[in-house]
Amino acid sequence: MATIAFLFYYVFPYIAVAVFFGGLAYRVYRWWQKKLAPARFSLFPRPQSRLGRLLDALVDMFTLKGLLRVNPLLWAGGFIMHLGLLFVLVGHVRAFTDFYFLWKLLNWGKEQQHTFSAVAGTIAGTLFTIPLFYLLARRWSGAVKWLSVPEDFFVLLLLISIALTGFHMRLLRTVEVEELHRFFAGLASFRWQPVPESAGPAFIWHFALVQVLMVYFPFGKLSHIIGSVLSKMVARS
Amino acid sequence: MLTKFLDTLRQRITRPLQYYQDICVRCGACIDACHFYVTSGHPAHIPAYRMMLVKKLLQQGGNGRKGLLGWYRETGMASEQMVAELRKALWECTGCRRCSVFCPFDLDTALMVNVGRYALGQEGMGMEMVAEIGNAEVSKGEIIDALKEFFVDQVRELAERIRQEWGVPDLRIPVDEPARVLYVPVVGEHAIIPLAKIFHAAKESWTLSMFTATNHSFFVGDIEKAKQAAHWIVEEARRLGVQVIAYAECGHATRTLLNFWDHWFGEELVGIQRVSVVQLVASYLQEGRIQVQPGAFDVPMTYHDPCNLGRNAGIYEEPRMLIRAVATDFQELTPNRELNWCCGGGGGMIAEPDMLEVRMKAGRPKVEQIQRTGARWVVTTCENCKTQLADLSERYGLGVEIKGAVDLIADALIVR
Ligand code: HEM
Ligand code: SF4
Ligand code: SF4
Repeated sequence: MATIAFLFYYVFPYIAVAVFFGGLAYRVYRWWQKKLAPARFSLFPRPQSRLGRLLDALVDMFTLKGLLRVNPLLWAGGFIMHLGLLFVLVGHVRAFTDFYFLWKLLNWGKEQQHTFSAVAGTIAGTLFTIPLFYLLARRWSGAVKWLSVPEDFFVLLLLISIALTGFHMRLLRTVEVEELHRFFAGLASFRWQPVPESAGPAFIWHFALVQVLMVYFPFGKLSHIIGSVLSKMVARS
Repeated sequence: MLTKFLDTLRQRITRPLQYYQDICVRCGACIDACHFYVTSGHPAHIPAYRMMLVKKLLQQGGNGRKGLLGWYRETGMASEQMVAELRKALWECTGCRRCSVFCPFDLDTALMVNVGRYALGQEGMGMEMVAEIGNAEVSKGEIIDALKEFFVDQVRELAERIRQEWGVPDLRIPVDEPARVLYVPVVGEHAIIPLAKIFHAAKESWTLSMFTATNHSFFVGDIEKAKQAAHWIVEEARRLGVQVIAYAECGHATRTLLNFWDHWFGEELVGIQRVSVVQLVASYLQEGRIQVQPGAFDVPMTYHDPCNLGRNAGIYEEPRMLIRAVATDFQELTPNRELNWCCGGGGGMIAEPDMLEVRMKAGRPKVEQIQRTGARWVVTTCENCKTQLADLSERYGLGVEIKGAVDLIADALIVR
């Protein structure tokens, strides 16, 4: 048990990062090996200029406005989940460094920084998690059940598990930011530092599940992080 | 089982198709888009499910793989039931791309279906009638010289009839003559008469193509043959030195003309403009080259956006302009434009007698849409839609008349 934990703390993180970026690069490489389709598959209306079409694709990608028009409920679920995820990711910057500039600008002390992080982090986490349960429940509803395959459940459950272990640290512990900084700086510089004790037992689970996600990410449907804009540009070619 | 299907498919998976297979998140936004699914409730009619079936078969290579990975990727055997579902998924689709508008990734199920159809054809599970008509369109070019005399005779008779009925003694229908516009009709004189009148009124320099715009090879996914059939028209246009190729009111042909020809023929098209005849007639009206009697038709009417002119080619406003020029009571269908329901008769189904029941069922959302407007005339700009709408009107007792947008203009022309 201790060995496994050791591997997840000090060895697997490197593999996870390598597989994540290498995998996504490989995915794109595999796409580029395929022949281009010999025609235009535009969907109309679409902007005239090339730049206009790219902007339209990006705006649609970040707002999902097309989905909002045809399925507001799914839009709410999907959009809020992704938005929460974005906020959560931004918040995780604090694991590696800190928003020193922002704190200085607001002239906030340690106490205020901490309160702000707790409130904002909890809101972001909630925005991320609640829609995940909705998306999971949907998997059994109506015609969506015909489309649901093991991967869908795996990904949703994995994300939910990551979120819940995160909440455990957020709500039941008071994590010392300095401890986290020391630990991650150690990983980055190959001068390993002790595990952040203040995070409690959930930390290993959270950290390990994120590594699982990173390794899985490029090989399943989550590759939509890159493919979505490519596919949208096909429809605007 | 299905080895030819899978081999063919593997060779034809292009870059977009690979994105689609990899990134579909199976969110189900496309479920409510498909008129087949909403009228049948059959899973094989769900757009994403069609793609998943093909993906499943591709992954397993026709054999069930056991073990955890096999379970995870759902690699069952290619059973009889799966083949039946596959046929349903690939042949019962009109290629309308309404699902692409609904999909948050704009993922193109119709493209997958089109490629899958070709592969099914290789396996001997094709739509024979449609493929046969497609072949005839390809070989027509080889015997066109022999057909020419007969064709010219027929057109001469037709022109004579129009002259007498319409009372315009100098109307001509030129065939195989150098001109500015090459008009490519569909089969039947109903596609020639209104345009003969409009071209005459606009004093256009035009000539009638000896070919037809329709391209049935496209429906069965046989792009090589589709290209060959269309190439006869390119040759004709170059031989006659025309500046404009105008296609009749025909959906799939207009889509190939506007969206595929660049890639198919490239250089050969330099100096030749391509338009739908609807756009051409709209430009006559705008430039004042023709005059129509405003409010000529005091009948409640509506416009059905054909998938291939609307979503797939972006021709939304020109037909409406033609209708507004002559109508007193024009009402939109809801939804319309890119969200318009498909008529349920596209994708080559019209030519396959066995498919009648399938398309009558799939047309129900369209019927309800039309009923809600209370229209007496349904105007549209696609030959396929016209046939399907007429069949629907009969089957469901709608009692509506189906009109082409250019028919309205031809019947309301003021000739000086
Ligand atoms: C630019 C980046 C991204 C875009 C544009 C994007 C877009 C989308 C869209 C349009 C959907 C389908 C609609 C819906 O379910 O609401 C979706 C679903 C999903 N996305 Fe993303 N996404 C992005 C990044 C991510 C990332 C980084 C993750 C996870 C780590 C993720 C996880 C998911 C999941 C799990 C679903 C499926 C929901 C379900 O099962 O129904 N996405 N995404
Ligand atoms: S809407 Fe698009 S991504 Fe969602 S299930 Fe349908 S095809 Fe897949
Ligand atoms: S293209 Fe049209 S008919 Fe085919 S799956 Fe999509 S919505 Fe259904």
